[in-house]
Amino acid sequence: MKVLVWSALIALMVPLQSVLLPYVKIAGVAPDIALVAACLAGLLGGELHGLLVGVTLGWVMSLFSAIDPVVAMGVKGAVGYAAGFAGRHVVYLSWPMLTVGIFFLSCLAGLATISWLALNGQQDLWRALRTVVLPEGILDALVGGALYRLLWSRFNVERWMAEYRT
Amino acid sequence: MRMVNFRTPYNTGRLVIVLAVVLLIGFLLLPTQLQGVLQRAGSPVGWVVSWPLRAVAGVSDGIADLWAGYVALRTVEAENRALRKELEYLKGQNSQLREAAAATDRLAALLDFKQQSGGTMVAAQVIGRDTGNWYRTIILNKGEADGLRPDMGVMTPAGVVGRIVKTTSATSVVLLVTDPNNAIAGLVQRTRDEGIVEGTSNGSARLKYIPMLSDARPGDRVVTSGLVGGFPKGLAIGTITAIHKEDEGLFLSAELIPEVDGEHVEEVLVIQSLAVPSEGERLGAPKAKSKS
Repeated sequence: MKVLVWSALIALMVPLQSVLLPYVKIAGVAPDIALVAACLAGLLGGELHGLLVGVTLGWVMSLFSAIDPVVAMGVKGAVGYAAGFAGRHVVYLSWPMLTVGIFFLSCLAGLATISWLALNGQQDLWRALRTVVLPEGILDALVGGALYRLLWSRFNVERWMAEYRT
Repeated sequence: MRMVNFRTPYNTGRLVIVLAVVLLIGFLLLPTQLQGVLQRAGSPVGWVVSWPLRAVAGVSDGIADLWAGYVALRTVEAENRALRKELEYLKGQNSQLREAAAATDRLAALLDFKQQSGGTMVAAQVIGRDTGNWYRTIILNKGEADGLRPDMGVMTPAGVVGRIVKTTSATSVVLLVTDPNNAIAGLVQRTRDEGIVEGTSNGSARLKYIPMLSDARPGDRVVTSGLVGGFPKGLAIGTITAIHKEDEGLFLSAELIPEVDGEHVEEVLVIQSLAVPSEGERLGAPKAKSKS
């Protein structure tokens, strides 16, 4: 059942990211909904879920982008795993803390991506850091924080997480 | 019945190590092959995902049309609403008809161009943009099943849009001419100086490696040279706005305004095969008779 739900969510995330989010670009940058999803999956379901969802999302999203699929899978998978690891070691996670966490994870993911692209001469590291990594980190953090707060206020997330993890 | 605990660190650790090792070995030893495997495996996935993608793109276009044609006009006063209801309805209809007429004009232009050109072309619609922030690409609603392959050129009657970099069975990803990772062989139409057209980080393009003694100047048009595959000779790429001496001092480079705004293009033509004349045809020599 979880696989079906996640498959449907992943299939819906591609049109959301490629058709709808370009309308809400700020300074040419849109939030990376796949990264936010990998973070939340890791947080709710643990390292394994974060890793699998991250790798799958990275791969599927790379089919509709010019990015190297291995880089996308590696970065998103690592983000999901890190979020799961962090989630397992934190007793209570407030939404501001999660927002800061997603910001750092997004920036780390962006740094890993531009390091790879810069190695291939495809990106100017400092310019990309200023124009893509930091704005995207802020947007991802805002979207992730808002989504988490919405879930927290509408649902019993603690119980949901406990049920989801078993 | 034994329940699987996904949060067992042992399983997670082992899976992480296996995945990381497989990816690392593939990435270091066989990067191209691994990419090929992932792309081939992704082809059916792309087909499945293309359905919600097309559906959302269709709804998005519909809402955009509605916004342009009707919602933007909803500033009328409340007391006039009843009187203007019919007028608004007609305006909405009119707007839809205008949109349909504009689409018909665009498609007719595409068809006309397609018939005039000798090569084989496939018309496609743009259904999305890049799923990341690192590349400037558009997603087309046609893919391998329609005969599209990576490295095929993409254009409109106005000029070059970009080239295909990835395909699934039902979609294609086109790297725009304004992306810094794109490189297209071009020449200045007036002076015939050749160079390489690359995208820039600010969303325009530039022609690099123009000979130092070139007479190129702002206002000159840059067209495809046809030297490297994907595009026939003479397709418009852009117009020069400024000329600079490159840092190395051996060449000039020219800033261009692209002829086609790839960010707002809706329909394109994909060049499947070029009608390239043979060397003999170019020199005007008669065709050799076949021995039969």
